[in-house]
Amino acid sequence: MPPSNPDPLLNILSIALKLIYIAIVAGLSIALFLQAEKQKQKQAEIDKLKKAVEEMDEQAKLIMRTDMALNKTQEELDKKIAGLYALQKLSRSISTTLEERQILKRIRPEFLQELGFEKACALVWNQKEGKFSINLSIGYLEDEAYKIKAAVDAEKEKYLDLIFKEKTVSSISLSQDTGLTEEKINSIFKVNSFVISPISPKEGNKGLLVLGTEDVDVAITAGDEEIITILTNQIGQAIENARLFEKTWMAQQELENKVDERTRELTAVLNEVKLINKRKTDFISAVSHELRTPLTSIKGYAAILLAEKLGALPQPVKERLEKINSHSDELVHMVNGLLDIARIESGKAVMKIEEQDIKAIIANVMDLIFIQCKNKNIELTAQVSKEMPAILADKSQIERVFINLLGNAVKFTPQNGKITIRAEVKRDRTVEVSITDTGIGIPPDAIDKLFGEFYRVDNEINQQVKGTGLGLSLVKHIVEAHKGKIWVQSTPGQGTTFSFTLPIK
Amino acid sequence: MYVGLGLSTEKDPVLAVKEAAKIAAINLHGAKVDLAIVFTSFNHAYPVLLKTLSILINRIPIIGSTGAAIMSNEGIFKNAVAVMFLGFPKGTYFNIACAKDIKEKTSLEAGRELGVKLMAGFQNTHRVFSVTFCDGLIEEGSGLISGLQERLGRSFPLIGASASDNLRFLKTYVYFNQEMLNDAIAGILFAGKVSFGLGLKHGWKPLGKPRTVTRAEGNVVYEINNQPAAKIYQEYLGRGFTELQKEIKRISVLYPLGMFLPGEQEYLLRNARLIGNDGSLHMQGNVEEGSTVRLMIGTKESCLAATHQALEEAKKNLVAQRRELLKEPDINFLLVFDSVSRYMLLKRDADRELEIIKSGLKKDTPILGLYTYGEQAPLLSINYQGQTHLHNQTVTMLAVSN
Repeated sequence: MPPSNPDPLLNILSIALKLIYIAIVAGLSIALFLQAEKQKQKQAEIDKLKKAVEEMDEQAKLIMRTDMALNKTQEELDKKIAGLYALQKLSRSISTTLEERQILKRIRPEFLQELGFEKACALVWNQKEGKFSINLSIGYLEDEAYKIKAAVDAEKEKYLDLIFKEKTVSSISLSQDTGLTEEKINSIFKVNSFVISPISPKEGNKGLLVLGTEDVDVAITAGDEEIITILTNQIGQAIENARLFEKTWMAQQELENKVDERTRELTAVLNEVKLINKRKTDFISAVSHELRTPLTSIKGYAAILLAEKLGALPQPVKERLEKINSHSDELVHMVNGLLDIARIESGKAVMKIEEQDIKAIIANVMDLIFIQCKNKNIELTAQVSKEMPAILADKSQIERVFINLLGNAVKFTPQNGKITIRAEVKRDRTVEVSITDTGIGIPPDAIDKLFGEFYRVDNEINQQVKGTGLGLSLVKHIVEAHKGKIWVQSTPGQGTTFSFTLPIK
Repeated sequence: MYVGLGLSTEKDPVLAVKEAAKIAAINLHGAKVDLAIVFTSFNHAYPVLLKTLSILINRIPIIGSTGAAIMSNEGIFKNAVAVMFLGFPKGTYFNIACAKDIKEKTSLEAGRELGVKLMAGFQNTHRVFSVTFCDGLIEEGSGLISGLQERLGRSFPLIGASASDNLRFLKTYVYFNQEMLNDAIAGILFAGKVSFGLGLKHGWKPLGKPRTVTRAEGNVVYEINNQPAAKIYQEYLGRGFTELQKEIKRISVLYPLGMFLPGEQEYLLRNARLIGNDGSLHMQGNVEEGSTVRLMIGTKESCLAATHQALEEAKKNLVAQRRELLKEPDINFLLVFDSVSRYMLLKRDADRELEIIKSGLKKDTPILGLYTYGEQAPLLSINYQGQTHLHNQTVTMLAVSN
C-alpha cells in the first residue's frame, strides 16, 4: 500500500500548535521569572525593612540604656542636692545650740526624711560605765530602742571598733573585717539599708549615728555615706564647741563667784573703815570741842598776864608767857582745822553752794597773798581766760582752798621764784584750777600720802616752819565736798603744780 | 455651686481636720454644705479625723481617701489634710455609696454592687458622671471598672482614683462618711444640672518594636512573644534578672509597658509591681492576652507637657458639654488624680506641675489633687464616647461646673 500523504493543513496546525505551546511556555516562564524577580525584590525590601526595624529596636535599646544611666545620675544628683539642703538646714539648727544634750535632739524626723531615712539612733559610748547609751531614737518604740541597746552592748567591741576606726560604713560598704554583717545590722535596727557613722569629738564620749530605712526601694549610695560623714563631723564639732563653751562658762561663773565674794569682803571692810572713820571724826569733833574751851581760858589768862594787868612781869616770865600764847594759837589753829575736817567728813559742815565768779575769787586771794610774795620777791601771776563761766561753790571754803595752796606755794618757793595761777574750762563742765610754783618740789614717795591728815613732808623748810599737817587734808575735803577732784604733779628741785576742779553752772 | 477648700499641715489629725474644715468653711462664705471631699496623707489616717469632721459638719456625707501627697492651691504636701466642702444648687443631685470586702466578693462583684447602690433613686434622672475612690492595693482593679460599667453603662464616664499610702504599698484607706476602709470602693454619682470636662494624659512615648502578649491572666503577664515577660526589660535595659527583680518597681516607673488599644488615642500604661521567679510581670492593672505592648519612655518635660495637655483637654471637654453657653463656663473646682509614679519622676519639679495647672485656670479656682496608685478614666475622654480603663502613671483632671 502506498504511504498516505499527510494532510498539509494538519501539519500546519501541528506546527502552529507547537509554536503556541512554545510561546505559552516561554510566556509563562518569563512571567514566572518576572514574578520570581518581583518576589525577590519584595523579599529584599521586607528584609531591608526588617533589618531597619531590628536596627531601630537596637537603637531603642541603646536609648533606653542611656536614658536609664542618665536617670540614675540625675537621681543621684537630686538625692545629693536634697541631702545637702537637709544637711545645711540641720547644720544651722545644730550650730545654734551650745548645749551638748540638745545637739542630737536637733536631728528631727523631717530632716531624716529629706536625707532619705526614717529611722535614726545615736549610740553614745560611756567610758566610765563601759556601756552604750541611746541619746537619740527616731522611728523606734521605747522597748525597740532598749532591745537595740542590749544587742549593741552584747557585741560592744565590734561597734567600738567602728568608732575608733573613724570610718563611715553602710549597706554597700560594710566589710567582713568589722565582724558585722548587713543582715545582722538590718535585723538589729529593723531596717533594709543603713549608714553608720562615728561621732568623734576630741574630748569626752564618742558614739555612733545609725540612720536607716525600711524602704526596700531605697539604694544607699557613696553620696549618702559622704553626706552622713559630714553630718557626724559637724555633730562632733558642735559637741566640742558645747564642751568648750561649758568649760569657759564654768570658769567665768567661778570667777564671778570669786569677784562677788571678794566684793562682799571689801564692802564689809569698807563699812568697818567707814565706821571707824566716823568714830574717829566723832572723837576728834568731841575732843576738839573739849579742847577749845580750856584753850580759850589758857589764851585769855595768858593775855591778861601779858598785859601786866595783874602786875609787872619779869622778862623771862614774859617770854615764857608769849610762847604759851603762840603755842596756844597753834593749838587753836590745829583744833579748828580738825573741827573743820570732822565737820566736812560727817556732812555737818553746810556748804553754801552758789554761783561764783572764779576770776573775782582769784583776784581776791592774790591780794591777800601779795604781801607774802613781795617779801620773798616771788612773781605771782594769773592766767585766766576772759570768758569764764560762773562756778558753783561756797566762796569762803574755796578761798580757804586757794589760801592754803598759795600759802604752801609761797612757803616752799625760794626767793625770786614764780607762782602761777591758771584756770580753764574743761569739756566735762568743770573749771580746772592749777597753782604752779617753782619751789623745792615733793619727793615721789610722798605724793600719795600728801593729802593724809597730819602728814608733813620731811624737808628742811618743814623742819623750820611749824605746821599742823592738816591743810592739804582740809583742802581735799573741801574740793571733794564740791564734787571736784584734786591732784598734784611735782618734780623735786623744779616745782609743784596742785590742780583741782570745780563744777560750773 | 459653692466650693470651699481648706488645707492644714498640723501633725495632729484632729487639729488638722479642724483647721482645714475651718478654712474651707470660711472659703464657702456661709453657704450650706451638701458634701465633703477629704484627702489626707497616710500619717493622718485615723478614724477620729472622720468623726471630728462629721460632727463639725452635722453628719453631712463625707467621701475621700489617703494619698502619698495632697495637692491644693497652696502647694503639694506629703503630710496634710485637705477638706473640700461642696454646696449644690437646685437641680444638681448626687448619691454616695460604697462596697466593702472586695477580695471576698471579687472586684467584678464589688463593682456591680457599687453600681447598683449608686443608681438607687437615679433611674429616671439624667446621670452625668461618677467619681470613685478605691483601695489602691486591690490587684484586680480592672474588675471594679467592669462591674461598675455593667451597671452604669459601658460608656458612662467613670473617673476614679486608687488610694495610696506613704509609698510603702502596705495599706491604703478609703473614706466613707465616718468609716475608714480598706479592701473597699466608695463612689459619688452626679446627676442633673452639673457638667464636667475630663482630661487625661501621661506623656510617655513608645520606643522599640511592638510585641504581643502571648500569655496573660488578669494582672499577670507570663509571656511576651512566647518568651518570659520580664525578658523585655532584660533586653532593653541590659540588666540581669536578679538585679531587675530588685529594682523593677522603680524601673517601671520610668519605663512602663504601654498597651495599644485600637481606636484610642493614648497608650494605656501599666506599671510592673514585681517580677515572679518564672519571669512573669505582675502589673498594676489587667493586661489582655493578645494585646500589643511596647516599652514606653518619658521625661520630666514630657510629663509636664502632659499636665498642660490634660488641663487643656479638660477645659475643652467642659466647653463641648456646655455648647448652649455663649461664653466659656466657669470651672467651679478642679479635681486632679495624679499618679505617684509621676510624683516620683518629677520629684522637686512636682511644684512646677501645680504652677502649670494654676496658670491654666482663673485665679483662685479651687484645685484639689490626690497622688494615686492608679487612675480610672476613659482614654478618649470626650463625654460619652470613651470607655473607662484603669491607668497607671497618668494625670487625670476633672473640671466641674454647674
